[in-house]
Amino acid sequence: MYPAIIENYDAPTSVHDALQALAKRGNESYFVAGGQSLMQAIKARVISPKSLIDLQHVTELKGIEYNKGAVRIGAMTRYRDIAADERLDGAYQALRDAARHVGDRQVRNRGTIGGSLCWNYIAACMPPTCIGIGASLDLVSRAGRRSLLAEAFLQGPLETARRDDEIVVAVTLPAAPMMCGSAYKKWGLVNDALPVVGVCASVELGDDRRCRVARLAIGGLATGPRRAEAGEKALIGVSATDASAISNAAETAAASTETQSDIWADAEYRKKLIETLAREVIATAFARAERGKHS
Amino acid sequence: MNKEISITINGEVYQQSVPIRMLLVDFIRDIAGLTGTHVACTYEGVCGACTIHVDGEAVKSCLMLAVQADRRTITTIEGLAIHGKLHPLQKAFNDHHALQCGFCSAGILMNMAEFIRTNRKPTEAEIRNALVGNLCRCTGYAHIVDAIKEVVGDAGSTGAVHQ
Repeated sequence: MYPAIIENYDAPTSVHDALQALAKRGNESYFVAGGQSLMQAIKARVISPKSLIDLQHVTELKGIEYNKGAVRIGAMTRYRDIAADERLDGAYQALRDAARHVGDRQVRNRGTIGGSLCWNYIAACMPPTCIGIGASLDLVSRAGRRSLLAEAFLQGPLETARRDDEIVVAVTLPAAPMMCGSAYKKWGLVNDALPVVGVCASVELGDDRRCRVARLAIGGLATGPRRAEAGEKALIGVSATDASAISNAAETAAASTETQSDIWADAEYRKKLIETLAREVIATAFARAERGKHS
Repeated sequence: MNKEISITINGEVYQQSVPIRMLLVDFIRDIAGLTGTHVACTYEGVCGACTIHVDGEAVKSCLMLAVQADRRTITTIEGLAIHGKLHPLQKAFNDHHALQCGFCSAGILMNMAEFIRTNRKPTEAEIRNALVGNLCRCTGYAHIVDAIKEVVGDAGSTGAVHQ
């Protein structure tokens, strides 16, 4: 496990300079964010970058900003910082659930949300979580900027809609309604292991405390992270106390999701995991949305 | 291919031209000659034996390139004791015999030294959770946890480790 020869290394301090470096170095250049996945791939020579552009000193990409309820998370914000930010609680608490258990504390000290989304590994927590809470990604290139919903950005495993000349600068979330809650949970073979399956749920309740908008997203799939729309539909009109309707929605989500068999879990077992985790995260999301009522 | 870098390790400045592909752990072991930082999992980033502090934070030095540590301050296990006085964790590991072969110990001590600084009264569950990134295969986790509990004043409450 040792990297192949790397010809160039740049450590820009601004997005502008990072894009300049990318233009100068051309193809076979890679941005490195926290490097907790990329370095493994480089050492295993899954990829052999000619040039590395290290984003660790680009301070404008770090930190979480709140503006009238809307949230902007810099792409280089670390799991450690997301896990610690209580202001996300309620509508976007799933991010903290996920960030707290990614890898281990050494990995959380360096790993970033933007890095995870751009890598889009099959067994990763940030992709389904960002889809589940309705996040968007801001991308910048020398030609301009654009915004994509996480579900449009994230494609099959290790695939995203990022163009080679673009850099992801932030993950953004709209101001959430008062009664909104989200939750994420994964299942792995050992504590805090890579997720075999991870499920994120987000619910928004109306004045009658019934669910009027629901989102369910699933990770650990060969197709890449996906919403489970049938499960979402089954949650409309449901209230926190309606355990059988929540179970039914979880079952529907599992039944309507295409799962694969691999050494970690066979397809049928994956469905069972989806169902069990979905039931739990939906219930937690409801409880968090209910709490929002009083704040 | 090469880049001139300057890294401060345990208070000493190491200035050197290194290949860009050189891993930080190899800089520490081969250039600085500080072999207390170990490599156990063939650089896969899973065992935690190469854990060091970069600007005070525990990271795995096999998941960084040496050039990424340019102008940064690093502490390795050799820098944990100050003026010959063992860090409380080192003393507790000794007292509790919190090791068998000792190969994982340096990484565990570096990780835990930062952990107890950021979480002064951890529960046993939190301690065990914080050890997820350090593999001990002898395995002496029970004694390791005992040693850490002693240092943090034995916050005591045992609980299931939550996923």
